[in-house]
Amino acid sequence: MNRSTVILLIILMLCALSLVAAQQKTRSLYVALERSQTEERRLNQEWLRLEYEQRNLSKAARVTEIARKQLHMQPINPGRTQYVTVD
Amino acid sequence: MPQISFSSTPNLVLRLPMWRSRLVLFLIFVGFIALTARAVWVQGFGNSFYEEKGNKATLRSIEMPASRGKILDRNGEVLATSLLAKAIIAFPDAVPEDLSKEKLTQLAHLLEMNEGELKKKLSSERTQVFLKRQVDLEVAKQIKDLGIPGIAQNNEYRRLYPEGEAMAHIVGFTNVEDKGQEGMELAREKDLAGQPGRRRVIQDRLGRYVEGLGVIHPPKDGADLQLSIDSKVQFLAFNEIKDAVEKHHAKAAGAVVLDAQTGEILALANWPTYNPNSRAHLSGEQLRNRVLTDTFEPGSTIKPFTISTALEKGLVQPNTSMPIGKSYVVGKKAITDTHPYGVLTVAEVIQKSSNIGTAKMAMQLQPQDMWEMFQAVGLGQAPNIGFPGAVAGRLRPYKNWVPMDQAIMSFGYGLSASLFQMARAYTIFARDGELVPATIYKSNAVPKGTRVLSAKTAIQMREMLETVTQAGGTATKAQTMGYRVGGKTGTAHKVEGKGYSGNKYRGFFVGMAPMSAPRIIVAVMVDEPSAGGHYGGEVAAPAFSNIVAGTLRSMNILPDSAVKQMVDKDLQVAPVGAAHKVSLSR
Repeated sequence: MNRSTVILLIILMLCALSLVAAQQKTRSLYVALERSQTEERRLNQEWLRLEYEQRNLSKAARVTEIARKQLHMQPINPGRTQYVTVD
Repeated sequence: MPQISFSSTPNLVLRLPMWRSRLVLFLIFVGFIALTARAVWVQGFGNSFYEEKGNKATLRSIEMPASRGKILDRNGEVLATSLLAKAIIAFPDAVPEDLSKEKLTQLAHLLEMNEGELKKKLSSERTQVFLKRQVDLEVAKQIKDLGIPGIAQNNEYRRLYPEGEAMAHIVGFTNVEDKGQEGMELAREKDLAGQPGRRRVIQDRLGRYVEGLGVIHPPKDGADLQLSIDSKVQFLAFNEIKDAVEKHHAKAAGAVVLDAQTGEILALANWPTYNPNSRAHLSGEQLRNRVLTDTFEPGSTIKPFTISTALEKGLVQPNTSMPIGKSYVVGKKAITDTHPYGVLTVAEVIQKSSNIGTAKMAMQLQPQDMWEMFQAVGLGQAPNIGFPGAVAGRLRPYKNWVPMDQAIMSFGYGLSASLFQMARAYTIFARDGELVPATIYKSNAVPKGTRVLSAKTAIQMREMLETVTQAGGTATKAQTMGYRVGGKTGTAHKVEGKGYSGNKYRGFFVGMAPMSAPRIIVAVMVDEPSAGGHYGGEVAAPAFSNIVAGTLRSMNILPDSAVKQMVDKDLQVAPVGAAHKVSLSR
């Protein structure tokens, strides 16, 4: 066995090992990607839920109710409004 | 005695026959051949079986979820949205028989069912039963934490409607499978529904997906849908008709608010209604979108169209006087008014809503002219707004009319229309003679209208409609503070069996505001009012007035009529800086 064969053999071994390592790396990255995507979906859902809650809390029915009953507010009318126009 | 080493002891000298070693060698060789053959078989020809086994352990085809589109109002407020929920499934065989009483009680409590019912489900013969669907995530987590074997959960979506019953008839609802059943949810099912995708992955021993093998078909989320409805205006209209029903002990009511310029529907409210968030009451009468699906004889609200035709043909002018009298006989029928009038001008015929005056003008018209007018404003044709169940109403061809038909049709009997059709027809007065296509979707451009009347006639009619709400008119209660309004009342006897009911009415008001440049058309209908009057001017006009005031205010439209200031002008107003000091905490 001459020297060049030995060197090539070592290189081959290293390549094979790096292939295994790369494969392992790919898989762990893919797992991380999956996890992030799941998280993304979860956060999207969370956002939808919050948007719904916000809407629920800000809907006219609720605002009117609170304004009238708790805060004793009255609807404005043109008689008590000063209109400002842009000229 | 000579020493003999152990290895050379003669006793051990044994000559084995040669064939034995050969045989062993051969057997080993055969063994190797068999192994090689097996390896070739396993890896080569017969490998599909093993490949399948391997794939079964690692390959997964998983669903990629897609969500149903949201429904939004014109300002982007959410009217319908889908949130993740869980379906709670039980595998009765896997649920232990000796499940503790305490856990069963807890589970029943979380599922909001009684224990007996739960036990019955858990002892079902089927392999799998739904215990409850569309369970909130929090509740689902609590159920999971109970750790009962044989109880599993599946992802699904739950449709939620923040506006609830105020918006129920427009948005509609979906069934438990997330398919549209009513309203826009049904009409636009195709666009709203998402299509879940599928992809292939490799799963490792820990259940993690370690490699993607590509997408079989990509998921498609449902498209969001933006309506022309303004949820503030809708809430306002809904409250007003609800109040009108309570105040007049009516059976039902409806209201439409149209943007007079763009034809967009700003509100479409119905009473009775239902809560689309609760699955318990999703059937029966309250589901009916009366504004679009119920037709009725429009009564006096049709008069402006008859009279416009007469004006357009040059038969009369707004100030043309005509004798009215106590009754007017056409064919076999005597037409009367609620109050007898002597002489009225054409404008006063509208203002006082005289049947006789209208019929007299109608009898000067050709039946075809009247029919063409009604046809042109959309009567007798289903409005093309892409809404399920919108009806056409009835408008008989003019060839079959006898003179009496023509006379009674001139004031709104013998033909039928929905409240929505009436509201849309009034756009010809608001838009100087043009009819615009109505739409329930938000549009940013002002659509091109179809000319039905000359601008001159439309403006004349607007002036007459305004007098209806002024002193001496039939709808002084339609007056709105700060805005000039105009419109027409209508009161029709309800059809019962073969004739008209003597004491069952429908009161309407269809009008527009502000009269200086109409921006909105509002139509209100109150069905079978039984207290506090039954005339359109009494039951529907006040609701009209409140809806107009609220809508114009929310659209930031400047008042066009003089307003008596209720606030002293010399009142000291705090400087702007001071306002910042007001604490907002409660």
